[in-house]
Amino acid sequence: MGCSVEFKHIGKNFPGVKALDDISFRAESGKVYAFLGENGAGKSTLLKILNGDYQPDNGEYIINDELVHFNTPQDAINNGVSVIYQERQIVMEMTVAENIYLGSWLRTKHGTIDAKSMNKRTIEIIQRFGLEGVQPDAKVSTLSIAHQQLVEIMKAVNRDSKIIAFDEPTASLSDNEIKILFKIIRELQAENKIIFYVSHRMNEIEQIAQKVIVFKDGHLIDVVNKQDVSDDDLIQMMVGRKIERIFDAADRKPVLDEIVLEVNNLTTAYVRDVSFKVYRGEILGFAGLVGAGRTEIMRAIFGIDHIKSGEIYLEGKRIHPKSPMDAIELGIALVPEDRKEQGILPNISVKGNISITVLKNHLNKLGVIDERFENKIADSDIQKFRIKTPDSDKLISQLSGGNQQKVILARWLEINPKVLILDEPTKGIDVGAKSEFYRIICECANNGISVIVISSELPEIIGLSDRIMVVRDGSISGKVSKEEVTEEKILSYAMVKQVSK
Amino acid sequence: MKNFMEKLKKSDLTEKISLLIALVALAIVFSIFNKNYLTGQNLINILVACSLTGFVAIAETNLIIANQIDLSAGSLAAFASVLGAVLVKAGFNPFLALFLTILAGGLIGAINATTINFLKLQPFIATLATMSIVRGFAYIICNGKAVAISNSIYISFGTYRLFGKIPLPVIILILAFIIFGFILKKTYLGRSIYALGGNPYGARLAGLSPKMIIFKLYIISGVLAALAGALLGARMNSGQPSACVGLEFDAATAAVLGGTAFTGGVGTIFGAFLGMLILQGFNTGLVMLNVQVFWQNVAQGALLIVALAFDFYRKNARNKKILKESMSNH
Repeated sequence: MGCSVEFKHIGKNFPGVKALDDISFRAESGKVYAFLGENGAGKSTLLKILNGDYQPDNGEYIINDELVHFNTPQDAINNGVSVIYQERQIVMEMTVAENIYLGSWLRTKHGTIDAKSMNKRTIEIIQRFGLEGVQPDAKVSTLSIAHQQLVEIMKAVNRDSKIIAFDEPTASLSDNEIKILFKIIRELQAENKIIFYVSHRMNEIEQIAQKVIVFKDGHLIDVVNKQDVSDDDLIQMMVGRKIERIFDAADRKPVLDEIVLEVNNLTTAYVRDVSFKVYRGEILGFAGLVGAGRTEIMRAIFGIDHIKSGEIYLEGKRIHPKSPMDAIELGIALVPEDRKEQGILPNISVKGNISITVLKNHLNKLGVIDERFENKIADSDIQKFRIKTPDSDKLISQLSGGNQQKVILARWLEINPKVLILDEPTKGIDVGAKSEFYRIICECANNGISVIVISSELPEIIGLSDRIMVVRDGSISGKVSKEEVTEEKILSYAMVKQVSK
Repeated sequence: MKNFMEKLKKSDLTEKISLLIALVALAIVFSIFNKNYLTGQNLINILVACSLTGFVAIAETNLIIANQIDLSAGSLAAFASVLGAVLVKAGFNPFLALFLTILAGGLIGAINATTINFLKLQPFIATLATMSIVRGFAYIICNGKAVAISNSIYISFGTYRLFGKIPLPVIILILAFIIFGFILKKTYLGRSIYALGGNPYGARLAGLSPKMIIFKLYIISGVLAALAGALLGARMNSGQPSACVGLEFDAATAAVLGGTAFTGGVGTIFGAFLGMLILQGFNTGLVMLNVQVFWQNVAQGALLIVALAFDFYRKNARNKKILKESMSNH
């Protein structure tokens, strides 16, 4: 028995962003549909609409020619829709069988949990997929990450979902496990399910998908048959916009003759053998997919992650930052990726958030804060960066995201850094405010600061950077100069085109 | 005038206005039932009773703001009351005995901080363990029997009255509130405590050392608990190993009553001061009304629930306000 999913003119807005705009397509049972697009193209938002996590602002969501409206993921599950996320939604201290039946455990007639029936059914599923070595009564915490992911998939199978979506399922799987996964997907396909498959890996899409749906900036570009298009065509479709120069970088003519930061063969638990140089006054871009290891390179330089081997030189001197405190004293600043979790001190005023990095040097003998100094730098930064706040005593959490980010940037410029690392500096910031950040970033570089920018937005990184490093799987996979840069070139380094089978 | 109003608006005082009202209402109600309630002598009695909880309330306020807790404070106070008594009995100079007792408190605080920082124990678990260990040692060093104190100088630490009226522990307590109020509000350590409670990872990335802050916090907590215990021993002429059970919870109650959010990041020492007065004023009032002692426990528990309900309400209101303002600033 076949089924279908149809989206008609789906739109979803977030403050300042159109995450999805006029998305329409129809998916039929027995096919695997791949979602392809850059980070932020709208794939995950659509998955969240699919499983009832988000509700569309406009448009129609139709299953089997009937209009549906899901208020919660539970609604979606009850209607046969399962989305399997990269972050596994399983309870570590429960058994495989208990997880597969999570929330709807079988009961005996006495009302107790019927472990026997659940285990029996779990064994059937395990055997069907050839997952030798997984015991139904094993605690999930004892399984490998890959097997934990498979438990998640078994959960969907057990629910007998008609529509199953996979969000980058292979990110933590080995080749062998990917084979098992593909076998499962093909079986599900043969059972006439509708499969959605989100991945950045071209060769996987080639192996498993019949249709590819390409997204870009919240729009649906096209739905194509996999066999009709080449990888290069798809990449072209993903990025196929004109590279708009968001600001005029032409007046920046950095002379790259003085190395400020040199990293040689840096290896940590997350990255390996990373080498690069940053010159005075340069903006060095780091491109790559989310999770490629860009942030982790910076974490090592900033003294957060333990360095296993390799050297870091700052202005020719070997440095060993053991903590952010060390790094700051050396003149390295880091504006972290996650403003809310890693940046702002939400319960402290705007001025307290600005002064926190330099306060230590402006105390009297008793450790009392020099309030005159604090007010002075706060007021001057509020003016300089045009931070919108009634006064510097407001809590930072009361400002908008863009203004919060300006406060964080101001905090770091107060230390007069030699190296300024910006991790996704304009993430979640209105388009209007972005150009202001670009202006500030360029100004920093023009004033002799070596700036490192991590960004997943290709136009941003291309527009800003003097040179670009591309990171893939914890290593630098390519270097691109300003003259030769194109989005296609960066993507070809960033994405895994050829992997071992 | 407008400027003054704005300053008043920002000051703790208006934020604490509801607490002040509660305190005044409490005083009026109890004085209706017992006309001796609002006499100078009774107020001093209340403050003397506070001098035990108060020191620990200062420490717990600092800790809770930083998302920490010290459950060993009560045991440590009992241990300190015994240790001071044992030392003076052994012939130590009373000032030296007091100093060594407080030093021991700081040391136990440092041990708490070490297990939290380096064994990565949860503060609750780490101090739960020391709570038991220190209580054990309180009994061990006196063989399980209370130790009488006869040294008159040591006793005067707890009983000397300034101008013949105000007992020394009350003066020390008020000084402690002023000093720690200042530290939390005006110093780098105070700012670090708020930063740690608001966003520990963010604080570390901004160059603070959470380990160092935690170290200082637990040493302060140990010192204050030992001071409270030593003064108690002096006041009672004896070191009691069984004293101060649940002291840390009374102190935490005072802190939370005074507006410290149990989720960290928010609170003031002045608030804790008011919370302590309400708590002790309530207890003393019930005693004066001859309410059966068991009912006092019930009443204190009820007060805590009211306080936490208040905390919940306050947090919701605060979050709503923040959300509203951030939307309008957008």
